Parts: sequence; C-alpha cells; structure tokens
Amino acid sequence: MFKVLRLAAGLAALAALPGCASSFAMFHPVGPVATSEFHFLLISTGVMMIIIVPTTVMTCLFAIRYRKSANAAYDPSFSHSLLLELAMWGVPLMIVLVLAYCTYRSVFLVNPAAPEALGSPQAQNALGSGVKGAAGAPAPFEVDVITTDWQWIFVYPKQGIATIDDLVIPAGQNVQLQLTSVSVTNDIYIPGALPMIDVMPGMRTLDSFRVDKTAGMEGFSADFSGDGFSWMQFSTRIMSPPDFGNWVKQTQAAPDHLTYARFQQVARPTINEGAKPHYFSGVPSDLFTTVYNATRAGVDYPVPEDVQTKAPFPSPTTGKQGDVKASS
Amino acid sequence: MFVHLQGPWSPLFGRLTLDSIPYGNPIIQFAFAVTVLGGLAAVGPMLYYRKTGYIFREWLTTVDHKKIGVMYIIFGLVMMFRGFFDGFMIRTQQVMADGPNSPGILEAQHGYLPPSHFDQIYSSHGTLMILFAVTPILTGLGNIIVPLQIGARDMAFPTMNAISLYLTIVGGMLIMASLFIGDFSQAGWVGLIPLTELDFSPSAGVDYWMWAIQISSIGTTLNAINIITTIIGMRAPGMRWDRLPIFTWTTLSTSIIGLTAFPILGVALALLGADRYLGTHFYTAGLGGNLMLYTDLFWIWGHPEVYFLVLPAFGILSEVIPTFSEKPLFGYITMVAATFAIAGISWAVWLHHFFTMGAGPWVNSFFSVATMLVGIPTGVKVFNWILTMYRGRITYTTPMLWSVSALILLLVGGLTGVMLANPAINYTVHNSVFVVAHFHCMVLLIAFTIFAAIIYWFPKIFGFMLDEKSGLRFFQTFTIGTTLTFTAMFALGFMGETRRLDYLFNPQWQPLLIVEEIGIAFYCLSVFYFAKLFYMSIRDRALNKAGPDPWGTARTLEWLTHSPVPFYNFAVTPRVHQLDELAWRKSQGIDHEMPDHYEDIHMPRNTIVPLAIGVFAFAFGFGMVWRIWWMAGFGLLAIIATVIFRSFTPDHGYIITAEDIARMEGRPPSGIVNDTHAPLPAMEEKVTP
Repeated sequence: MFKVLRLAAGLAALAALPGCASSFAMFHPVGPVATSEFHFLLISTGVMMIIIVPTTVMTCLFAIRYRKSANAAYDPSFSHSLLLELAMWGVPLMIVLVLAYCTYRSVFLVNPAAPEALGSPQAQNALGSGVKGAAGAPAPFEVDVITTDWQWIFVYPKQGIATIDDLVIPAGQNVQLQLTSVSVTNDIYIPGALPMIDVMPGMRTLDSFRVDKTAGMEGFSADFSGDGFSWMQFSTRIMSPPDFGNWVKQTQAAPDHLTYARFQQVARPTINEGAKPHYFSGVPSDLFTTVYNATRAGVDYPVPEDVQTKAPFPSPTTGKQGDVKASS
Repeated sequence: MFVHLQGPWSPLFGRLTLDSIPYGNPIIQFAFAVTVLGGLAAVGPMLYYRKTGYIFREWLTTVDHKKIGVMYIIFGLVMMFRGFFDGFMIRTQQVMADGPNSPGILEAQHGYLPPSHFDQIYSSHGTLMILFAVTPILTGLGNIIVPLQIGARDMAFPTMNAISLYLTIVGGMLIMASLFIGDFSQAGWVGLIPLTELDFSPSAGVDYWMWAIQISSIGTTLNAINIITTIIGMRAPGMRWDRLPIFTWTTLSTSIIGLTAFPILGVALALLGADRYLGTHFYTAGLGGNLMLYTDLFWIWGHPEVYFLVLPAFGILSEVIPTFSEKPLFGYITMVAATFAIAGISWAVWLHHFFTMGAGPWVNSFFSVATMLVGIPTGVKVFNWILTMYRGRITYTTPMLWSVSALILLLVGGLTGVMLANPAINYTVHNSVFVVAHFHCMVLLIAFTIFAAIIYWFPKIFGFMLDEKSGLRFFQTFTIGTTLTFTAMFALGFMGETRRLDYLFNPQWQPLLIVEEIGIAFYCLSVFYFAKLFYMSIRDRALNKAGPDPWGTARTLEWLTHSPVPFYNFAVTPRVHQLDELAWRKSQGIDHEMPDHYEDIHMPRNTIVPLAIGVFAFAFGFGMVWRIWWMAGFGLLAIIATVIFRSFTPDHGYIITAEDIARMEGRPPSGIVNDTHAPLPAMEEKVTP
C-alpha cells in the first residue's frame, strides 16, 4: 500500500512540474491588494504547517511502526491521557487564535469595498461614501462594470466612454469598480491583481485594486452564469497615464454611442468568443444607475422571439450568438 | 396556469410533448442503452429464477431495518456509479475542450458536449453524489448498524423507515427520468440563483432538480426522527450513554443535524417553487425579490449537510481503526465532545460559502473564525485516531487501508479548508477548481470510509467475507485515481481555472488536465475491480463463511449476534456491562455464552404501504415537474388517503414464540439473505427501558 501511495504521489508531483512558471499568476501578484492576499496565503499555510506536518508524520509513522508484523510495543490499555487530551484541544486552539488574528488583519487589508492595503482607512471610508477625495486622499479612478449574458461592459462615467470585454486602467492609481448585473450572478476576477467579488443583478458591489506598472492580464467571470459562461473573459490592460490619456481620447471618437436604448440591444444574450473588444463613446454618466434601477424594476433583456432556437441542445454558435456584432 | 410558460401546455400531458424526449442525441441514446442493460441485469435473473414473489414479499414490502439499509446502500451505489460517469464525462469534456483551437465533435464547438448539455451533467454529478449517493449510503449504514450496536430489535418506527427509503428512491428516479424525458437543471447542485428562476431556466430541468431534492429530503428528515427516537428509546439494558459506540453517537449527532437542517432546505426550495409556479418574487432580482435570501437559506442547510455527511464517516473511522489496531479508541469522551462540537459549530459557518457576495469585513471575520474553530474538534479526532494506532497491533485489511488513507485525505482537505476559511485567500480561489479539489478531498474521505464500512460490516449482514484480493486492487486503483486527479486539480486552482467551465480558454492547463484524465482512467479501473470484488466474493461465498466476529478483533455489540444477523437481531436482548461490550466479554471469556432460555419476540409485520406511498410520491413529483395537475393532485391525495387508511388499520405485529427461537438458534439461523419465512405486519416496537 505504501509503495502505491508513494508512487502515486511521485507521479502527481512530476506531472505538476510543467505547469509551473508564468501560469501561476496568483503567485506573482501585482499591486498591493493581490500582494497582501498572496502574503496571507503564505502565512496561513505556514502557520498550519505547524500542526499539519507533525500530524502527517505521526500518522505515517504510527501506521508503519505499529503494524502487527513489525512486533513493536503493544499496549492495549493506552486509551486515555488527560495531558495529551488537553494538549490536543489546546494546541489547535492556539493555532486557530493565531489564524484568527491573521484573518482579522487581512480582512480589512483586502476588503474589496475599501481595502486598507490601498491607503488609510479615512481615505478608504471616503471611497464608498461618494465624498470623493475627502481627508486629502486622491479620489480613486472609477469604472462601472455591468455584466450581461455573457459579456462585460466597462463604463467610464467621467470620460463618457465604455468598452465590451476590455478593461483599460491607468497604472499607479487606485481603481474602484462598481458592479452590477442585468441578468444572473457573475463573479469578477483578475488573478494576481483583482480579488473576486460577486456581480449580482439588482445589487451593487464594490471592488478595488491598484497596479503600479504597466501590464496585460486576463480577467474572467468565476461564477457560473449559463450557456455562455465559458466565454466570459475580458482583457485587462494597465497603461501608463499618458498612454491611458491617449486611449481615452481615441475611444471618445468611437462612432458607437452607448445610450440606454443602445444598451438594451447590447445587453441581449451574446457569446463573445475570444473576448473581441468593442468601444463606445457618448455614454451617459448615469448609465450604471439607469441599468441598476431598471433591473430592480424587473426589466430584463431577452433575445427577441425570432432569434430564439428551439433545439434541445443549442450550440453556442447558433441562435443566441452574434446579435451585437451583427447590429454594430 | 399562474405564470407565463414558454412552449405548449395541455391538460392531459401538461408541458410534456414528444419533443421533450431527446431521442436523437447519441449521448442520451448511449445512456439509455446502459440504463436498460443495467435494469435487465438486475431484473432478468429475478424473472429467470422466479424470484419476483420473493423480492416483493421479502424486500420491497419489508420493514426490517437491515434490509432497508441494504436497499439504501444498493440504491446509493447505483447513483454513485451514475455520478461517477457524469464526473468522467466532465473531465473528458474539459481535457478535450482546452484552448481556442481544440476541436469539437457532435453538436459541440469544443469537445463533445455543448454548454447546455455539459451544465446538466455537472449539475447532476453534484446532486447525485451528495444527495443520492453518499447520503443514502450513510443513512443505510446507520439503519443497519445503529439498532445492532444498541441491542435493539428494529428501528422505533419500522414502517416510516421504509417510507423514508422510498421517498429517497423517488428523488433518484426523478433524476434518472430527467435523463430521458426533458432535461436536468443547468444551475448546479446548489441551484445558483437567479439562474434557477423561470426567466433564465424555462425548461422543466430545474423542476426535476427541485422536486427530486424536496421529496427525498422529506425521507431524510423522517429517517432522522426515526434514528433519534431509536437511539434515545430503544437501547438494550445497561447501554448507558457513556457506553454508546461512537458510530451510534455520530449517527445521533448527524440525525439531529438532519432533523433541524432539512426543513430549511424544504422552505428554500418551496419559495423557489412559488417563484416558478405561482409567479411570486421571493428570489428575483427585480420587483422586491432578494436573491441573497436563497443563497443564505440554501447554505444554512448546506453547511450542516456537509457535517451531516462527514460525522458518520468519522464514526466509521472510530469503529474500524480500534478494531484493526486491537486497542480501544483513544479518548472516548473527547471523541463524543468533538462530535457534538462539530455538529454545533456547523450552524454558524454557512456564510463562508459566499465570502465574495459582498458582506462587510466584520461579518466575514466572524464566519471565518467560526469556520476555523471547526478545525479544533476535527484535529482532536485525528489525534484520537492516531493515538489509537499508537502502540497498537495494526493489521492492514482493506477496511483499515481505506481508513488510514481517509486520514491523509482529511489532513489535505482540512489544510485547504482552513486556507479557504480566510476571506483574503478565499477572494483569490473562491469558485476555482481549488475549492472543487478541497471539497472532493472531504467527500472522497467520506467515500473512503464508506468503502471501509461496506467491507467491514458486509460479513455481518450477509454471512460471508468480501474478497480481500480484488478489494486491495480496488483500493489501489481508486487511491491512485484520487491522488492524480485532485493533486492536479489543486494546482489548476492556483492557476486560476474556474469551476463549471465547458470550454477552457487557457491552453497552458492542458498537461494538468491530462493528468486528471489519467486519474479518471484509474477510477474506471477501480469500477472494474469493484464489480470483480462482488463477483468473486459472491461466487466463493461458501469458502468465506463468517462467524459472529469474522475479523476476530471487533469490539462492539453488533458482532455478538450471528452472521448473517437473524431478522430478530438478538435471540435474547443482551445486557450491556461496559463500553466496547464484546471486547469486555472476550476479556471475561463469556463472548460465546448461550442464553439459558428464550422469550417471545414481538416483531413488526411487513407492509405494502411504504411502496405505495413511494409510487404515489413519484406520480406527484413527475406531475409537478411537467405541470400535469391531475397526476400531481392524484399522487398527493393518494398519499394522504394511504396514510389515513394505514392509521386505521389494526396491526399489532406478530410474536415469534420462544420455541421457534430455540429451534432457529439450534441450527445456524437463516439471516436476511435466505430467510423465506414471511415476517408479517408492522407495529411499533416494545421500547426496552
């Protein structure tokens, strides 16, 4: 049995090797929030090793040492020991106390609504309250995020622009995302940069991060949302402030205007394979609020009857797809 | 009709039309062929050997807790096989559909399953494995073992016991029906809200899921009532609380969880049903609904449900490890305290399933620390088992191999569980396959103990041992499969792979996906060895006859009576003197003592009522799923009528006379496998003080 276990473990370790390096984005965090998360991943795991390693060693050791055929000491009367039993409650309790302290520290540091990792609590309080730039802190860069079935719409309310499946952010600036959905629940995530937070219809959630150097990353939805879920990626580009300024100017010249009427077309179920970006200008600054209020009032954005398919297993390529691209 | 439904509806067939049957789909055709062949393999021999009457009289209408338990376990294993096949299909789809250039066959663009089909498969995989495989098997084990361990004749409510079984089976049959008639839910076993609302899931799939769980959970609740009453009221003389075997303790704690948690699930699903059938807005995003309410209610049940499963598994470990270490369990009192500590804390941790839903840091901290607290009693249990092995004399029979490996799985699952309990870490791996790998470690730990328990207690019930050689091969292949699949899955979780993906956008995941697929191949092999295990064992059963204590080192009361256990369990209700009664009797040299005289035994009579209720419940469930109102109404009224009819039927059971017992004890008694002597009608047991 032990041979088999060892063999299996060896094989698994070997197989895991080619996967190393750059594909573990989570282990190469950029920006303070993701760094804190990774930091606490290491600390928590380390603290737990204090108990996991000896326990594992003891399990294996006793399992081998006290085989019947090994003729080791045998003491069937050993079934109670006050000292050991106190220790087995006490030691895990100590570990949990340490871990609880870690939790308490980390929860505030990476709180998606107002992470202390991004600055002082006062400045952070100002973030969520709408009083921008209170306590002398620089106001965070705001992006409104709306998920549809099955695309990401990033609205830049101050700039009057919006994108589909392309999140562009200036480097070195605190960013606050305000998120809602127009259909079902999604979950936004950019490994190594942005913590996960649910994106829910009729609800508003907040998520914050900062990346200090230019980079390109892939974000995606992490909560199942239906047929097109597997194709819900978006590219994330962190640009230097001048580049970002240029990009905004460029986008402000985009011919497509995302008014609420246009949004109603865009929000229809669409699978955007390969997350091909699309850009809008002329976006009203209150689009997020309009959409949010509409969802709370029960508005949804179904596929028009004539596009619907009746097949029992519709292919992602037929029926529900291509609506936006066709009309844009 | 209360809500706007897509598609046709007729009074006679409801929403059911010929188009609902996906007969053109080759995957469904294959599944149908397998199901028909499996059914023929089960029913064919029964017809050939003209055993239908025997099956009906001795099994389908039985109220014997052991036979009911055996049926629970067989049902659970069949469902586990289907759940495994779903898992195999999920893994194969993912390994085929990695990267934008991956080819697609059948109707799929990538791999062989289009999203709508894949989503049904992962939803049914979770639903089946948790609610229709592991839950029934553990319930079945509790059914068989608990009355034997406490020296009772049967459960407190034998007829209700059979009703519980049939309600569980009805749930499973509804899910099987969804395979061929209509579709299954595409919203996960948790019923992701608002995806389960009519607007987003207009087909009958979610209704199948909802009614299957709703009906079977009534069965589970009834069973919990039964077990609690049995343990409190029917212990043999001298079976004081401080002499109760640990497996019985864990089953008691689990049943308390079941009794208190399952009604919450009932409410959560009933409100969803109101949304889907009556057009209310409990969980909708708009019009005053609150989708977080569902998530909260579901997990207020869902987390205790996790411990509902794992506590009996811990109980099994606490029976198997002492037996094969030839030592009493270390720290009995600590073990009981730890069991109830886990059961208690299980009520205060549900929010850790959705740290990312936007709760504030203080709320998240509370649930995070509460979750970590679970680690303390769990750690205590692990230390108890390790110290039981310390200075023991361990024999590695297959139940012990499964148990020691389960300990390793528990360590891995526990480590990753406490990692996930920290919201800061959770924000990076929530909903990733890291979480999937974590809870598979925990559920597989339960599966490992289930296999240990089946092999351990099999001779007690059937009177012959299972073949250790194919049992070892089964263990080896299953363990290698587990190691490969889930080690790779943990790594993929850190690489950012999200769960429930039909198509994977990152080609870098391919090597690890292949490792997972190799693991699945080992699982397939293990299914073969599992079948071989039973084939060999049944073929050679005459060579492997088991005595009352076939392992030779068992410690608890169930090993005192004959193997197979006679239908009246104990010829004379045993008097209990000590914790680990059998071990004590062995030490006193009185374990083979025969009773000096026998007394009449009062037994419950078999009845067709539970089977009838099962059939009506299926009619009700199927009628509700397809909105065939006459069928649902008929089913419901028939159940009520049956219960009323049953309540007014005078049936006081029957008496086995002392002479009959003497006669049966004189020769090796015929246990549940070959007794043909029709036990008769039910009624409540005489409660032994």
